[in-house]
Amino acid sequence: MTTNDINSTHTNDNTDNTPKQGGIETPDNPKAHSEPVLELKDVSYAYTKGGKHVLDHISHRFAAGKAYAITGPSGAGKTTMLSLISGLANPTQGQVLYQGQDLAKLDRYRFRSHDIGVIFQSFNLLPALSAAENIMLSMDASGKRFDAPKRQRALELLAQVHLPEEYANERVLHLSGGEQQRVAIARAFSYDPQILVADEPTGNLDLATQADIMDIFRSLAHDQGRCVIIVTHSPDVASDCDEVFALAPLRRASQRGTAQRGSAQRKSVQRQPTQRRHDTVSAVPRTGQQS
Amino acid sequence: MFMIANAWKNVIRNKGRNLLVMVIVAIIAAAAAIGLSIRQAAQSARATGLANTTVTAQISLDRSKLMAAAQKQSANGTQPDFQALRQSLAGKELSLTDYQKYAKTSTAVKSTYYSQSAGLSATTGFQPVSTSSSSTSGSTSDSTTSGQSGSQGSSGSSQSSQGYGAGGPMGGRGMDSGDFKLTGFSSDAAVANAANGKFTMSSGKVFGYDKTANGQIIISKALAQFNNLKVGDTVTAANTTDSTKTYKLTIVGIYANTGSTSSAPGGMGNASNPDNAIYTSFSTLDSLGLSGNSTNGGSQLDFTYVVASKAAYETFAKDVKAAGLSSDYTVSSPDITQYEASLVPLDNLAKFALTLLLIVLGVGGAVLIALNVFNIRERKYEVGVLTAIGIRKAKVAAQFVFELLIVTMIGLAIGAAAGSIASVPVSNHLLAGQVAAQQSQQASQAAQFGRGMQGGGMQSGSQGQGAPAPAMGGGFAAGRASALGKTTSYISSINSTVSISVVGELVLIGLALTVVSSLAAVVVIMRYEPLQILADRS
Repeated sequence: MTTNDINSTHTNDNTDNTPKQGGIETPDNPKAHSEPVLELKDVSYAYTKGGKHVLDHISHRFAAGKAYAITGPSGAGKTTMLSLISGLANPTQGQVLYQGQDLAKLDRYRFRSHDIGVIFQSFNLLPALSAAENIMLSMDASGKRFDAPKRQRALELLAQVHLPEEYANERVLHLSGGEQQRVAIARAFSYDPQILVADEPTGNLDLATQADIMDIFRSLAHDQGRCVIIVTHSPDVASDCDEVFALAPLRRASQRGTAQRGSAQRKSVQRQPTQRRHDTVSAVPRTGQQS
Repeated sequence: MFMIANAWKNVIRNKGRNLLVMVIVAIIAAAAAIGLSIRQAAQSARATGLANTTVTAQISLDRSKLMAAAQKQSANGTQPDFQALRQSLAGKELSLTDYQKYAKTSTAVKSTYYSQSAGLSATTGFQPVSTSSSSTSGSTSDSTTSGQSGSQGSSGSSQSSQGYGAGGPMGGRGMDSGDFKLTGFSSDAAVANAANGKFTMSSGKVFGYDKTANGQIIISKALAQFNNLKVGDTVTAANTTDSTKTYKLTIVGIYANTGSTSSAPGGMGNASNPDNAIYTSFSTLDSLGLSGNSTNGGSQLDFTYVVASKAAYETFAKDVKAAGLSSDYTVSSPDITQYEASLVPLDNLAKFALTLLLIVLGVGGAVLIALNVFNIRERKYEVGVLTAIGIRKAKVAAQFVFELLIVTMIGLAIGAAAGSIASVPVSNHLLAGQVAAQQSQQASQAAQFGRGMQGGGMQSGSQGQGAPAPAMGGGFAAGRASALGKTTSYISSINSTVSISVVGELVLIGLALTVVSSLAAVVVIMRYEPLQILADRS
C-alpha cells in the first residue's frame, strides 16, 4: 500500500517552461527551505465512511515563499485536497499539519478566518452583499487590525484585481462570473493570510487580468513569504508556479489496468485539450501508483 | 460585534420577509396585550374591589342541613315531625350573647351591629298603609353598595322561607304577622343597612340608642301621611298575639326611603309593606319585651360583624370555628359573595382571554417557527459561506437570532401599542357581551321559575348562603322585598391599562417566541458543515 502513495512533484525547472518561468528567480528563497508551513502527511479522504477514497495516501509539503500548482484531471481530488488544506474537512486518514500542528486539533474556524485565504471554485460570495461588504466581512471575521480603514482597503484590493471602483457597492448578485472571481480573490487577499489557496482562480478571467492576478500570487509568495497553492487546469498557470504537484486520477482498487486508466485519460483530454501535456507529465509517477 | 451590525444590515436588506414576521408578531402581541390586560383588570378588580371597604360577615344556621337530618329521622312517618323540627331549629338559634361572644373571639372583627324585627298590630288611631293602594312596581336597582349588604343578606331568607313552605305548614311562621313591622337597631351602622334600604329624614331626627331614648321611633312618610302624624306625636300599637297589650311610641322623625322602595307582594300582610316599617332602637325593642327569640312573630336576630377586609373575613371565619361554632352554622359574607357574583362576567372574560392568549401564542409560535425554519433553510448557503470563511457557527446562529430579535421586538412594540390602545374598547365590548349574556341567563331563569325578580335576588349572591335568615314575622317580607329590589350590578367596564407588568410579560413572550423559533434556526445551522452546504451548491 505504501509504495504507491507518493504522487510526483517536480519543479518547473524540470518541465518545459513558458517564457515567464524565467522571471521567477528565487526558488531558493531562504523561507522556501525553512520548515514547511503546511504539510499533508499520508492523507486519505472519503466522503462517506468506508466509501470510495477520493484521496489515497497523499503526502506533500508546502513551504512558505513558494507558489504551488496542483494539477490533475477532473475527479482526481483536487478540490477535496483543497478542502482538507483549508480546514473545511478532516482527513479520514493521516494528518494535515499547519506549522507542525495537526489541523484537526486546531481551532479550524480561526485557521480559516485568520491564517488561510481560500478562493473557491464557486467563489462563495454572499450574493446579497456588495463586493466591498463581502471583502469587509472577511476582514471582520479575521479579527485582525488593519492600517487603513477596512472600506478603503477593500477598494484598494478591488483596484488591484482590476475591478472598477463603481462595482464596489454593487451587489455581488449583479456581477458577472469574472467579476465575482475577482471579488473572491480580493477577499482572500484582504486579511493577509499566511496561506493562500485558490481553486481555478483564473478560469473566468481574460488574459491580461489573469497575468496580473498571477503576478500578485507570485509576489505574495516571493516577496511576502506566503504560501500560495493554486489548483488549476491551465498549463500557463501551472508553469507560472514554482512547483507543480500533479494529482493522478484515482482508480478503484478492483478496476485497475491500462484500459481503465486510458478511458479516464481520454475523458479529461476531451474536456480540456490543453490538459494533455499535463496528463502525460503526471502520468510518469502514476505508473508507479496503485500496485 | 460585526455580526450584530451584519444582523442589522440583513434586517434592512430583507424587508419583505421581515415585515411579514413583524406583522405576525404584532398580531400576537396585540392579542396578548389585550388578553393580559383583561386578566390584569380581573385580578386587580378582585384585589382592590374590596380593599378599601369593610366587609360584613354573618353567622347563620344551616337550616337545610338540620331539616334534612330531622326529616331523615322521621322518614318512616308519613308526616314530618314539625314540632320536633321547630324545636330543634328554635334551640339552635343564636342569642345576642352568643353572637357577641364570637365577636370577641376574633381580632379580625372591627365592629358589630345588629337588628331585630317584631310585628305590631294596628289600633284604631294608628292604621297601616294599605298594601294594594301603595304598591309600586318592583324596580331593579343597580345602586348596590356595600351598605345594602345587610338587606342582601336577608334576601337569602326568602330562600329559606320557601324551604319552610315546602317542608310543611311552617310557612305560616315565616309570614308577616301584624300590621307594622317594628325593627330595632343597635347603631347607626345597623340603620344604614336596614332591610328596606337607605332612607332620608324628611323631618325630625333618628332616635338614639341608649335607654334614655327608649320609646322613640321613626316612621315612613307614607305612614305619617296616612295617619296624619307628625314629629312629636305619640302612637299606640298593639301586640300581635295579645291585642290588649299595647305599646306607646313617640315619633321623633319621619323618613322617606330612597332608592328601592319596592313594594311587598300583595296579600302578604301589611307588615311586609316597607311603608309600614317602623324603626326604633334595639334598646326600645328590648324594653318592650319584643326582642326575645320566636316571640310575637319577631324575626331572628340579624347580627352583622364588620371586618376590615376579605382576608380578615377569612380569619374571622377560622376564628369562630376555632371558638367552637358547630358545623350547624355557616359563616358567610354577603359582601364578598355579592362581589364575587359581580365579577362573574369579568372572570368569564378573563378565562376567555386566557384561552385566546394561549391559542394565539400557540398558532403564532408555530407560524413563526415554520417561517423561521424556511427562512434559515433558504439561507443555508449564507450559513455555509459564513462558516467557510471562518465565522463560528455560534456567531452565525447569534446573528440569525439577533436578526429575529430585532424584528420581533419591533413587531412587539407595534403590537403592544396597538393592543393597549385597543384593549380598553375591546375588553369593554367583550365585557358588555358577557354581562348581557349573564343578564339574559338570569332573565330566562326568572321566566322559567315564574318568580320574576326574585331570581335577581337569588342571583345577587345570597342564594344558599342563608344569611341571618329571619324566618319569622317580618323577616320573610324583608327578604322578599329586598330580593325584589336588588339585582347584582355587574362590573361592566374596566379601565384596563397596559401596565408595566403587562409590558414585562409581553417582552417575556417576545423573547420566548424568539428563542423558541430561533432554536429551530440554531439547530439547522449547527447541523450543517460548511463543506456540505457549499458542495450542495456547486
